Amino acid sequence: MAGRRAALKAIDWLAFAERVPPNQRTMFNNLKTRSDAISAKLTSLPEKAAAIDWVYYRSAVAKAGMVDEFEKKFSALKVPEPVDTQTALINAQEAEANKTATAYIEASKARIAQYEKELDKFRNMIPFDQMTIEDLNDTFPETKLDKEKHPYWPHKPIADL
Amino acid sequence: MLSRLVFVSGRALKGSGPIGAGLVHASRSLHTSSQSQAPVPALPEKGGKVRHGIIPEELFQLLYPKTGVTGPYMLGTGLLLYMLSKEIYVVNHETFAAASIITVIIYSIKKFGPSVAAFADKLNEDKVAKAQEVKDLAMTSLAQAIEDEKKEQWRVEGRSMLFDAKRNNVAMLLETNYRERLHMVTNEVKRRLDYQIALQNLHRQMEQDHMVNWVEKSVISSITPQQEKESIAKCITDLKALAKTTQAKAAV
Repeated sequence: MAGRRAALKAIDWLAFAERVPPNQRTMFNNLKTRSDAISAKLTSLPEKAAAIDWVYYRSAVAKAGMVDEFEKKFSALKVPEPVDTQTALINAQEAEANKTATAYIEASKARIAQYEKELDKFRNMIPFDQMTIEDLNDTFPETKLDKEKHPYWPHKPIADL
Repeated sequence: MLSRLVFVSGRALKGSGPIGAGLVHASRSLHTSSQSQAPVPALPEKGGKVRHGIIPEELFQLLYPKTGVTGPYMLGTGLLLYMLSKEIYVVNHETFAAASIITVIIYSIKKFGPSVAAFADKLNEDKVAKAQEVKDLAMTSLAQAIEDEKKEQWRVEGRSMLFDAKRNNVAMLLETNYRERLHMVTNEVKRRLDYQIALQNLHRQMEQDHMVNWVEKSVISSITPQQEKESIAKCITDLKALAKTTQAKAAV
């Protein structure tokens, strides 16, 4: 029986569970219950079919040749393996998931670089009590008072004081 | 202390030092002319040192080499006496008013100066503390964001497990199906053979029963009435003989 039993890969469910984000936990649990049900069903079935005692039947059955005919046909019979239609789909899904994952990782790395840049700006900042207002406006552009829009003190809408 | 008060208000203006609003333009034009990229030196923490609240320390340091410690005091006393005696400064009612005002001012500064200074310092410190808080919060949130991103990347790495699980499920289903088919074939063949055997047994059983019935019927029908009388007589004589023997046994 060559070709069947593509080796089952051992899955570490604990490690898998660690990597699942909290918003996908129900989906993970459903997958796990289904997988467990399938594997339980598999283990409940014996691997080889029960052997047929041909000698006994040959002595018991009166009709001549029937048992021989059955035996011949039975040993010649090859049970066809079920056709695997889903693995290709799964592989395609996996390739797509890999693509989106690499894109996501790229975006994530860009975000990390941006955060690192801002963090560096904070780390290399001069202490507040040595700053002038000019330095403050350079470091935090949002504190700059717009003297053109509000030419009179306090240079910002009264509500924002 | 006065200089500290001035600094609180002076921080809002460009540059350092107690310059009035009118001089801002002058300093701006000063800045644009000399374009030096050197960082601005740190602002001084306290004002210039003064003695007796008003006389700068530099005067004392200036006069120390020539006249020692008492030099500036002698100078001051001498100047004062000179101005009074020569009537360069005339004592009039204004003098008394000035003396009273100065006394009150000095008294109030000595009394309330420190608390006002502390209040002004606190205002400034609050601003700095708020800014510091904002900065700390920003830094922690950024660090946390970086950690979260790294964690998400780690999570993404586990995506192959999902597909392995799916493929495993598919393989298991196929295997289960195959085994079911195998078992079904075997069971069907067995059932057919067993059926044949059962059929045979049934046949034989029926033949046997039928034959037994037929034999019985024929035997019973072949018993003639005369044979029946003879057999009954024989039975009676046998019984009599048996009774005699048992009587003899009982007597003994």
